[in-house]
Amino acid sequence: MLRNPDPEPSGQPQPAIYPDWESVYQDNVVGIYQLVFRKVGNAADAEDLAEEALMQTLKTLRLPAPVPTVRAYLVKTARTVLADHWRRHYAARDAANELEQLPIEIVANPNAVDRAQRLLGLLPDNFRNILELRFLRGYSVREAANELGVTESNARVLQFRALRKAAELEREVLR
Amino acid sequence: MKESADRVARFVDELLHGRRPHRFEATQEEAEAMTAAASLSAARVGADVPDQAALDRIHQRLAETLDENTVVDRRLSRRAWLRTAGAAAAAVVVGVGLDEVVRNRQESGGAGGSATLLPDSGSWRPVAAVNEIPTGHAMQVSTASLDAVIINDAGTITAVSGVCTHLGCKLQPDDANRKLNCPCHQTAFSWSGKVLYYRLKAAPANLPQIPSRVNNGQVELYIV
Repeated sequence: MLRNPDPEPSGQPQPAIYPDWESVYQDNVVGIYQLVFRKVGNAADAEDLAEEALMQTLKTLRLPAPVPTVRAYLVKTARTVLADHWRRHYAARDAANELEQLPIEIVANPNAVDRAQRLLGLLPDNFRNILELRFLRGYSVREAANELGVTESNARVLQFRALRKAAELEREVLR
Repeated sequence: MKESADRVARFVDELLHGRRPHRFEATQEEAEAMTAAASLSAARVGADVPDQAALDRIHQRLAETLDENTVVDRRLSRRAWLRTAGAAAAAVVVGVGLDEVVRNRQESGGAGGSATLLPDSGSWRPVAAVNEIPTGHAMQVSTASLDAVIINDAGTITAVSGVCTHLGCKLQPDDANRKLNCPCHQTAFSWSGKVLYYRLKAAPANLPQIPSRVNNGQVELYIV
């Protein structure tokens, strides 16, 4: 629970304080998990990385500490943990560097569904179709290929090109 | 191109089947596509909501490392603890004790009933300019001691707690449908704080009302 250690009778409220690690965990675990999930796309990695971000933050910061301080540090730590993940497991140096340079407010933006919908709306029809079938309707590559009237091999290439275009648009338009 | 497309397709399959993706040395182009795939995977409704077991494991490992002296009492589930903490946080907002929250819930028929919380101390604090909230809109505000949602319903300003009474997740205003959505367990509340629907075993409590008023063009909430 957040608490205010020195409530003032008037004027500006004092920043809320996290008294202990349990309060940090309670207030942030779902948000930090979702933040990480948006950058790795799967639950197993999201769980590990959310825990790592929380653990590093809680080992580093001395509590009690103001809520804004803890949250800002936690998001920065999550950003670093994510960059390390992409660098270590996929040798994705550029993607990792880009992730590390993202402004905190973008990293922490919770509107994943809205952003994805906007992104899909900006894609050419053939790219949007393959991604909607795969990601939003859960089609396999074979099912998507049948729906689109192309070979499976071509469907994989189309998906690859669509994802690269989506990444480019996300970088250039949505930020 | 074909090899890259195949490697990325396998990565996408693993995401969509909820598996941890295999590791490999990706080209820059492949990594670009994979980060976009991760974003789209997260955009599936409910995909990025952690399950209770995952949260329990994180909590357990944090406890083991950070608090060696803490004996985790498994009789008090984390879910129950959070629900209690959420009610306590709501109580702090308006200056009543937790026992009073419980009593109010019991009097109003338990979970799903309406907890009417009356402040016994505190002060009016400005939290937003009234012209920041157009008619028909709800706005999240956070202060030192609470998260709240202020609503302008045809010119009438009201406020309710901004956190779900189930697990304490922060509510997301959905102005078009005049409701507040909980991103954690597909629960929604009306602007008056009443539970509209839920996908839980038991109905969560309605949102506590927060005393509000407009004073000199400012929306003020009564906060301890």
